[in-house]
Amino acid sequence: MESGHKNPPRKKPIEGSHVTDEGLVTHPKAAEYRHAYAMPVEPLWFKRAVFYEVLVRAFYDSNADGCGDLRGLIEKLDYLEWLGVDCLWLPPFYDSPLRDGGYDISDFYRILPEFGDIDDFVALLDAAHRRGIRVITDLVMNHTSDQHPWFQESRRDPDGPYGDYYVWRDTDTGYPDARIIFVDTEESNWTFDPVRRQFYWHRFFSHQPDLNYDNPAVQEEMLGVIRFWLDLGIDGFRLDAVPYLFEREGTNCENLPETHSFLRRIRKIVDDEYPGRVLLAEANQWPSDVVQYFGDPSVGGDECHMAFHFPLMPRIFMAVRRESRFPISEILAQTPEIPSSSQWGIFLRNHDELTLEMVTDEERDYMYAEYAKDPRMRANIGIRRRLAPLLENDRNQLELFTALLLSLPGSPVLYYGDEIGMGDNIWLGDRDGVRTPMQWTPDRNAGFSQANPGRLYLPVIMDPIYGYQAVNVEAQLNNSTSLLHWTRRMIEIRKRHLAFALGSFHDLGGSNPCVLSYIREYNPPDGDKPDIVLCVNNLSRFPQPIELNLRQWEGYVPVELTGRVPFPPIGELPYLLTLPGHGFYWFQLSPREDAQ
Amino acid sequence: MSVGASDDNRALVFQLTDALATWLPTQRWFAAKDRPIARVEPVSVAVLHHREDEDPVRLEHTIQAVSFADNGEVQLYQLFVGYRRILPERLQHVRIADVQEDGHWLIAFDGLWDDELASSLLPLMASGETRNGVQFATEPGMSIPKVTSSRVVDTEQTNTSVIYDDAAILKVFRRLVLGTNPDLELCRALRRVGCPYVPGLLGSIEGGYAGEQVTYAMLSAYAVNSADGWSMATASVRDLIAEQDLRAHEVGGDFAAEAYRLGEAVAAVHGDLATALGTSSLNSDGLVALSGAMSSRLDAAIAVVPALAQYAPAVRTAFEAIHDLTPPVPVQRVHGDLHLGQVLRTPTGWLLIDFEGEPAKPLSERLRPDSVLRDVAGMLRSFDYAAQHLLLTGDSDHQREYRALEWTERNRAAFCSGYAAVSDFNPAEQRTLLRAYELDKAVYEAVYERQHRPAWVEIPLRSIARLTQQLT
Repeated sequence: MESGHKNPPRKKPIEGSHVTDEGLVTHPKAAEYRHAYAMPVEPLWFKRAVFYEVLVRAFYDSNADGCGDLRGLIEKLDYLEWLGVDCLWLPPFYDSPLRDGGYDISDFYRILPEFGDIDDFVALLDAAHRRGIRVITDLVMNHTSDQHPWFQESRRDPDGPYGDYYVWRDTDTGYPDARIIFVDTEESNWTFDPVRRQFYWHRFFSHQPDLNYDNPAVQEEMLGVIRFWLDLGIDGFRLDAVPYLFEREGTNCENLPETHSFLRRIRKIVDDEYPGRVLLAEANQWPSDVVQYFGDPSVGGDECHMAFHFPLMPRIFMAVRRESRFPISEILAQTPEIPSSSQWGIFLRNHDELTLEMVTDEERDYMYAEYAKDPRMRANIGIRRRLAPLLENDRNQLELFTALLLSLPGSPVLYYGDEIGMGDNIWLGDRDGVRTPMQWTPDRNAGFSQANPGRLYLPVIMDPIYGYQAVNVEAQLNNSTSLLHWTRRMIEIRKRHLAFALGSFHDLGGSNPCVLSYIREYNPPDGDKPDIVLCVNNLSRFPQPIELNLRQWEGYVPVELTGRVPFPPIGELPYLLTLPGHGFYWFQLSPREDAQ
Repeated sequence: MSVGASDDNRALVFQLTDALATWLPTQRWFAAKDRPIARVEPVSVAVLHHREDEDPVRLEHTIQAVSFADNGEVQLYQLFVGYRRILPERLQHVRIADVQEDGHWLIAFDGLWDDELASSLLPLMASGETRNGVQFATEPGMSIPKVTSSRVVDTEQTNTSVIYDDAAILKVFRRLVLGTNPDLELCRALRRVGCPYVPGLLGSIEGGYAGEQVTYAMLSAYAVNSADGWSMATASVRDLIAEQDLRAHEVGGDFAAEAYRLGEAVAAVHGDLATALGTSSLNSDGLVALSGAMSSRLDAAIAVVPALAQYAPAVRTAFEAIHDLTPPVPVQRVHGDLHLGQVLRTPTGWLLIDFEGEPAKPLSERLRPDSVLRDVAGMLRSFDYAAQHLLLTGDSDHQREYRALEWTERNRAAFCSGYAAVSDFNPAEQRTLLRAYELDKAVYEAVYERQHRPAWVEIPLRSIARLTQQLT
């Protein structure tokens, strides 16, 4: 299947970076490797794509060592293609001491050995591209692991070529206005290094020193990393922790103009040399600040193509718990327009905790009380649960949340396993509770690995509700009413209507605060028929009526999208709908003559 | 289109006198359904819109004086009468009668329901025109939106509202009262001081009658994507009642954060009203008068709701306790009829609406300065209603009653804390006066429920029992 094996044998390059006797860190060149089959260039593909976050370690183990790997992921691409996934997001797979889930990179040019090597990665790109699936990965720009040779050289030789690669100071008093992000473990953003006998700056863990972007050599190094992976054929990057690249005294060291100008430089390289690749910003900020990361709207955006909409997700949970649309209506009303070539990324859950940084203190207390009754479920300023346990495995709510994810403005990002309603294990350390092996079958190790169960990187979920014998892909594939089949159908419906991906968003309001209704409307530039979708969501567990003012669409017929059943035409009076508890509808609004 | 005084004299509404006598009593907002009408007489007529072409259309503004067979008080009603040669199906339900113009038949109907006619009012407001005594005006510094469509909200008892394009809402007072309507007066004052907790006032239609100013209608910004406090609060109560074993602060639908913000909004509006219209104070005579008014309302109420009698001594004691307060007690203009149905939750926060005051009271009383605790008590009573009314249907049991009380207590406290965070005092600490206002309101409610919703009379009666128990 992988074309690599059909090519004449070639000399395998030496993997990764090396330190020469002169203390220089050398990196391999992309030209030393085979490049992947490229997908046709489609500049705005990401605006229509359904993303799927998959942890290589957690998905499938091809060599029975207890740890998922790239070859294993290749074996499961048929499943992802069947599900309707357009793009995989892989959290970092670079060489790392793994003290922060791989976000502590010790070599940007080497794959974590247990995942495979660069040839395996190129084979993954090939196999995914042949199925029409793109692949993006995390690039941690802000910092490295303290094991990275740049840092080791920097602490060893302050006057050497890497002496200025990190932010060193004689005191720990600089940048006092910068907040501490990991409040559970870190007391300061400065840590003393006994080798160099100076303090180094770190916005995250103390084993993750921040790179010094004021040093032009650091900027060039990171551009080299970006070019290396783009040359191999990757479809883009999720840029991790972008707001923190630069530091300036007297500021909170977030969202600085210098950071934006460096992002514009990266975007220009992508536009000029790698059209059709995407940059996705991870900036856990308010939407009004995040839009800065899309860049100048007058040119359609000149920084990142996409950015995650962080505050939306906790608001969805809060709205359903309070049975009120206002938490969602409020945050969407505060979300500014974005440049024409940009798109939000939206998600319900990901590999990190339920991020509560972007809600007020009062709301945060509320979310804790509601969703994390056990203190172990709280981590940093968040809650580490998967979707199904957060919703107490209520199928109606799982469907409602998924319908919201697939219909609110932005490209949806699914988290591996949520499509089958996987559970979590809150007794595992740090954030591992939501990173357990994918549950494929009811067989040993959930069909994830042939290894001895004791050798698995994390134990599979075994509790009676979410355990692999109850929740697995095989069983749900064989049951046409399963959550898996339902999710696949909804993805398929979403893809039939460009309004979901490209349409404007109009909150319809209505007198019933328990119901969130909105219109997504897309007018094709070629003057073709507009695509208008009406979404109505009952956030209450009780049945609710709603009267909607749809006068603008008088004479149109709402056609329900899962069954194509035409509803009564819209008249002059408010349009009355009734919804079951946690029910939702998706309608296409068709002119009467088209509805039959 | 040209309209002159001669048009007004030839207005078609003069032909409708008999038809209106049968049509008016069928309207929801007609306040004297049980009094036989003796005569309906136009006392003011103005042609507002007139288009002569193959599909002629016309709009006339009129005030009709209705006298009754009982020779009692004459009532004034305001109509916007539309005329069309062909009445579309969707307007048939507001048809009044047929009239003749130059040998052609025209159909007269309630013109507020007609897109074209209702929309024709806004340009008149934008250009500040006067038509035979009907004065259209734009508020200083505001602009009237240009609109394409309108819809009528006809659920209110005393007025009819027209919503334009989700941009503005025109509140048309149906039964007219001499003097400036307090809703218009207070919204104007709040707009002047830039109060963010009321919808912005955009314009007005006013006129005169018998030498007095009369408010016909007011145009405000429309609070798009809003829901009223009552539906918000009852959703929360429903959530609690369904749980049985969880307490008010434990259920997902907890309303306390909303109640707190609502308290902040009410306090801010009170502060702005004081800034705009000033404050005064009640001396000991004023306190006696206040207590006396409450007591006489109680006497009148007992005649209607005899069940009140058993609580009367305790209620009177609570009213008389006002005498012992240390004057001066500050008073100012207030909302006057504040409850959860008079507040709107928008995506950004709460708005207060409908500053008309208690409709049953004469205008002179509604204009009188009062303690802000009148409004606070109104809202606290409304929390009680929200919690209790779900218990009326379905089997009530002690558990549910206990939970409902808990909900009320939690949200009362949150509302008062929110109020205290903005104002300089916590209303919950003004126990004597607050309790008197709450009892006064509950007595009023008992009468209202006996007359309109007998099944609900238990709600105020139970509250009075509770409030008087706390006294002893």
